[in-house]
Amino acid sequence: MGAGATARRFGHPEVFAAIAALSFLVARFAPVLALPYVCPAKGLFGIPCATCGMTHAFVALAHGDLVAALQSSPLGAVLAGGAWGYALFDGLRLALGRSFPAIPAGALRAATLAGAAALLANWAWLLAHQA
Amino acid sequence: MLARCARCQGTFTTDTYGVQTCPHCGSEILLAAPAGQAPPPVTPPATPPGGPPPWSGANGAPPGELPPSPPPPPYGPPGGFGGPPGGPPGGPPGGRDGLAAPFAERGQRGFFATFFQTWKLVAVQPSDFFARVRVDQSGSAVLFGVIATAVGMALSSLYNLLTMGGSTEALQQAMGGMNAQQRQFMEMYLQFLQGGAITKALVGQLVLSPLVAFIGIYLVAGVVHLLLLLFRGAPRGFDATLTVVGYAAGLGIVLAVPVCGSLVAMVWGLVVLIIGLGEAQRCGAGKAAAAVLLPGVLACVCCCGLLGLGVGALVEGAKQLGAGGGGATNL
Repeated sequence: MGAGATARRFGHPEVFAAIAALSFLVARFAPVLALPYVCPAKGLFGIPCATCGMTHAFVALAHGDLVAALQSSPLGAVLAGGAWGYALFDGLRLALGRSFPAIPAGALRAATLAGAAALLANWAWLLAHQA
Repeated sequence: MLARCARCQGTFTTDTYGVQTCPHCGSEILLAAPAGQAPPPVTPPATPPGGPPPWSGANGAPPGELPPSPPPPPYGPPGGFGGPPGGPPGGPPGGRDGLAAPFAERGQRGFFATFFQTWKLVAVQPSDFFARVRVDQSGSAVLFGVIATAVGMALSSLYNLLTMGGSTEALQQAMGGMNAQQRQFMEMYLQFLQGGAITKALVGQLVLSPLVAFIGIYLVAGVVHLLLLLFRGAPRGFDATLTVVGYAAGLGIVLAVPVCGSLVAMVWGLVVLIIGLGEAQRCGAGKAAAAVLLPGVLACVCCCGLLGLGVGALVEGAKQLGAGGGGATNL
């Protein structure tokens, strides 16, 4: 995924960028918090799951409230910022006609490991603050 | 030597390599010669210009079925059971060495025929299909998955809309045996149902299902591919992962089956996904299962899909009523 320059004008990196941009629009303008949804882990056991609060974090960050986003879910805030930053970067890259930078597989592996560790750390934080 | 028919799995003995006729089912199969031994000359059958389309029935299999694969070589060397089809692990990442899926040829062979041929191959013969399918046509795979999942979701939504009246009636009847607190909560839930919010949500699902399916396929493919990379199980690149996820999402059409459709689609889809990734990425079922099930376990804990939507809301609502106050919904 993204490991290597691509000559395509609109390939997989652009699809992911479009999804990221769409997530901003939904978080900013759609009433997602009004949906009657409760995390089953929280509803059944009273403890948040590893991804609890991410929607709140996306919505808060989309409205410019960084503190509320971090309080809802630190990982969610980082993920939202990263996704929207990536969308911006890819849009600029596309506008400038540059090819997608080659990402070594080792870097992707390291990023995946870091992501897994961040998810666990985020869960620990949520358990400590919201359980 | 002993040969096995790829179609009926029956075994028979033969003295020659090349094209054979299975004595059990009558299929024509190609018995490949071991490495270092020249096969006998084979007269190619008369084909139309450009050759027969793969999986069209002109390769020794009925339409909609895979052409029979060369049977495993006789037990023992040379070659043994050999590597997976399409080359050794870590082979050329281009993915042009396989057969085009029937759906990828919908322009020439018709949309519905190729759709159902592809669905049958994915659902019934995932191992053979994904071992040989080209992985550089992921656009067709994504389109296939989006159409099937959107149709399944749409039909499921329609069924829910049609049966909502009955559900409301059943809830009203069940309220008779409840205590005051439970009745209060159920009345609140009924007001929500009758207020049209559910109808709006279902209509929204109906309209947005293609977009949701498209995003879902890409996100699942992205997460699974990262995990495959972590396990060093993605030698053929993201296109191979996306191809498998797209075609496996075709099982989303099973969502249209009332009541048990979502469960069947989920289990069947997971099985096809694991088999397909193992074959298409040449990484084996173990790594594929690890990559697929890790986020699946997380998803089970976190979301539980539509089941969680109902159960979680009911439980939380009951708790809030018991505490006598409202609380913020946590998403």
